[in-house]
Amino acid sequence: MKPGSRSISAKLMWMNVVVSATVLVLAVLAFFFYDLISFRQNLIRSLITSAQIVGANSVSAMTFDDPQSAATTLQALGSSPDVVSATLVTNDGSTFAEYHRSPNIAAPPLTPMDAGRSDQDWVNGSHVLLAHRIVFQGKLAGVVYIAAELNETGQRARQYLLIAGGVLLICMVAGLLISATARKLVAQPMVALAETARQVSRERDYSVRAAPHPDKDEISVLIEAFNEMLVQIQERDTALNRGREQLEARVQERTAALRAANRELEAFSYTVAHDLRGPLDAVQGMVYILEGLEREKKAGDRAEILDQLRQATRNMASLIDDLLNLSRASTTALKRKPVDLTAIVTQIADDLKRGEPERRVEFMIAQLPPVEADEGLIRVALDNLIRNAWKYTSRHPAACIEFGAISRRGEILYYVRDDGAGFDPKLNDQLFQPFHRLHSRSEFSGTGIGLATVQRILARHGGRIWAEAAVEKGATFWFTLKSEASASA
Amino acid sequence: MRRAYLLLVAAACVAGSITNAPAQEPSRDDVQAAYLYNFGKFVRWPESRGFGPMVVCVAGQDPFGQTIGKLVDGEQIDGHRLEERNLDRPEGVGACSILFVGATARGQEAGFLAAAEGKPILTVSDAPDFLAHGGMIQFVQVEDHVRFSVNLDACSRHSVALSSELLKVAVAVTGKSGTGGAK
Repeated sequence: MKPGSRSISAKLMWMNVVVSATVLVLAVLAFFFYDLISFRQNLIRSLITSAQIVGANSVSAMTFDDPQSAATTLQALGSSPDVVSATLVTNDGSTFAEYHRSPNIAAPPLTPMDAGRSDQDWVNGSHVLLAHRIVFQGKLAGVVYIAAELNETGQRARQYLLIAGGVLLICMVAGLLISATARKLVAQPMVALAETARQVSRERDYSVRAAPHPDKDEISVLIEAFNEMLVQIQERDTALNRGREQLEARVQERTAALRAANRELEAFSYTVAHDLRGPLDAVQGMVYILEGLEREKKAGDRAEILDQLRQATRNMASLIDDLLNLSRASTTALKRKPVDLTAIVTQIADDLKRGEPERRVEFMIAQLPPVEADEGLIRVALDNLIRNAWKYTSRHPAACIEFGAISRRGEILYYVRDDGAGFDPKLNDQLFQPFHRLHSRSEFSGTGIGLATVQRILARHGGRIWAEAAVEKGATFWFTLKSEASASA
Repeated sequence: MRRAYLLLVAAACVAGSITNAPAQEPSRDDVQAAYLYNFGKFVRWPESRGFGPMVVCVAGQDPFGQTIGKLVDGEQIDGHRLEERNLDRPEGVGACSILFVGATARGQEAGFLAAAEGKPILTVSDAPDFLAHGGMIQFVQVEDHVRFSVNLDACSRHSVALSSELLKVAVAVTGKSGTGGAK
């Protein structure tokens, strides 16, 4: 495994092991050198003591020239395992007595002492040589030399290395065990976090969350920040998806609306052509009959034919007027100003009554305050509604047509009510489509464009229109002039 | 013998009167003179002796000539100045710390010992049977070496204590401990 690709837990483990090994090696080295130095110092100190004792015990032997006695004294040094040899030297530098632990062990050569020192030591590789001046009764009696081995130093080094190696091994094992714990404490959450991050980026699943960390440390902060980030990403992702879906739905909606409008337009042009064709055919027919009558000089009821001709052209003119109104309702610019609806309705009612004075129709027109609207267009709308009511009550001997308004939830609902023929409520949605007639032309005359025009005018005013009706129970047309939002504003 | 000579030279050196030693080997008398002086370093006299000088007396004719005089000149042992004195008669032994009764005092030997009896005086001689006659230290010749024997009974009679270091190098130790000697 390359160092760069090692996981955090492996790195932590190696860090532990390296740190503990380094600390241990340094500590062992420090202890070893301290021990080495203190061992040498202790050895030299004990050698000085031995030299002092040997010196004091050898004074009489040296004074009374008894090397044997001195040698016996020196023999006592044999109890110390370090001492290799000892030598008593007289003041003139000649050897008085000697001790050698073994003839095989080489003793270091004796070195003259510096003047003025009572003790002196030389460390020479594997040996330490100590010299001590023997002073008796204020006089220099001689010098005792003691040579000792430093072999034990090497032995100690080996022991230290052995112990250090053992402890190092134990530390490694302990390091591994601690690393396992550390992995749980430190590395595991990070590994889990990394795995979560990988999963998120691989599956683009922003609903995944990293498991929370029980301890409040940097890792838990990291995990919380990561989760927080995921929450935000998820929110944005959701919003983006929702936006896209809404957009798609709107596009579909618009496409459907466009398609419907298109279809409607096609149907409309067809109907217009067809409805215009009707009276035109009648006109052509009448003209043909009149031509025939003229060519053959036949007598005929020319007046009746002309009357039918006039009726046909009037129908055509009426249809064209209605179409123009419809078109105007869609295209004319709105010019809002206060309009007195009561006055307009009253005027229309008067016109109607004057036109057919024989009918017994009672008008109930409420006094309403002026309202902001385009006067021309609203007049067309009201004219259509009142004339409708007038028309569909024509079969009843007596009728009542009502215009008024109620206030509901801050909105003014205007209504035009009659007690005429009414219609089947199931046909409600066809009511405001152009050329859709609920009654046959033979029953009630009309172009089928009127209510479509009304709806368009009210829509342009931000209002809407709907109807309540039942067959032979009359009809009520409700409408508003402002959208609810602008009304409440 | 060479070692003894060296020792003598050493003693001479520390005595501060360093002289170029003669080339010939030191005589038996020279060695004995040096020992006589050195005994003083290993002997403890009773407090009653006071602070006076430590007098090394030689009974009869001095066989050592100037040797002792040179050795003790200006020397001190345990704070006591050293002096040498030649005694012709036993009457003067009262001032002595160390008394050598040599061959030259033959005949007067008993008189000197009798005069010193009971006094804190270390008696030394090279006469045979000296210990048997109540002496304390007797020089003996072992091969080429000058050695000495010790009589502890005599020492205790004179209230003179010999250090164990001295006993260690003695050829023989008699009395009190009852042993036949260290060597």
